[in-house]
Amino acid sequence: MENNQLKNQIRRMRFERGEMTQQELADKAGVTRQTIIAIEAGNYSPSLTLAFKLAQALDVRIEEVFQYESENP
Amino acid sequence: MNKEQKMAWIMVITISLALIVSSIAAVTLYPCSVEKILSIFVWAASPGICVYLGFLIFRRPKGKVLFDERDIMIKRNAAFAGYLASWVFMGLACSLPFYILGPKGTVSVVWYIFIPYAALIILGFVTSIAILIQYGWGDKSGK
Repeated sequence: MENNQLKNQIRRMRFERGEMTQQELADKAGVTRQTIIAIEAGNYSPSLTLAFKLAQALDVRIEEVFQYESENP
Repeated sequence: MNKEQKMAWIMVITISLALIVSSIAAVTLYPCSVEKILSIFVWAASPGICVYLGFLIFRRPKGKVLFDERDIMIKRNAAFAGYLASWVFMGLACSLPFYILGPKGTVSVVWYIFIPYAALIILGFVTSIAILIQYGWGDKSGK
């Protein structure tokens, strides 16, 4: 379940958008608040569909929200 | 903590308490029949089962989204772990008497009543533990 290679900027972006709460983002993306907590903490890697929904909810491109860091650059 | 976690906690506490009570009964009432110990287990577990069923039927979770892809993945993994554990138990319970007692050994027919119920209990217990482990035992919230 854990994937530390996938970094995300959700927390920073929420605060940049007038301190949007986790619940507000969860409602916009159609997931539970617990899932947002798990994604922010890097404990859960969302599916591609959910990643797009989160990017849409934050009104940014998907690569601005999620970054993949390769172990062997 | 969501509904799944609460139900998993109820299941874990109920089975643990019933196991402790029936183990104490088995030691203090020794020698006594397996049927009596099983009935003590069921009696000890019945309040927890009632709470579990009540939670399942009457408790309607609040919120816009109740279930998402992560919950589905957690339930699927937990069900896999639960069924795997119960099948391993069934396999062992069916084959161990042969290896211990030999091909001409005999076992009580009570053993055949005990196996499916014990497998069911293991299924519920392992599934609940797997749910709690995957959710992280509680609500790690943060705004």
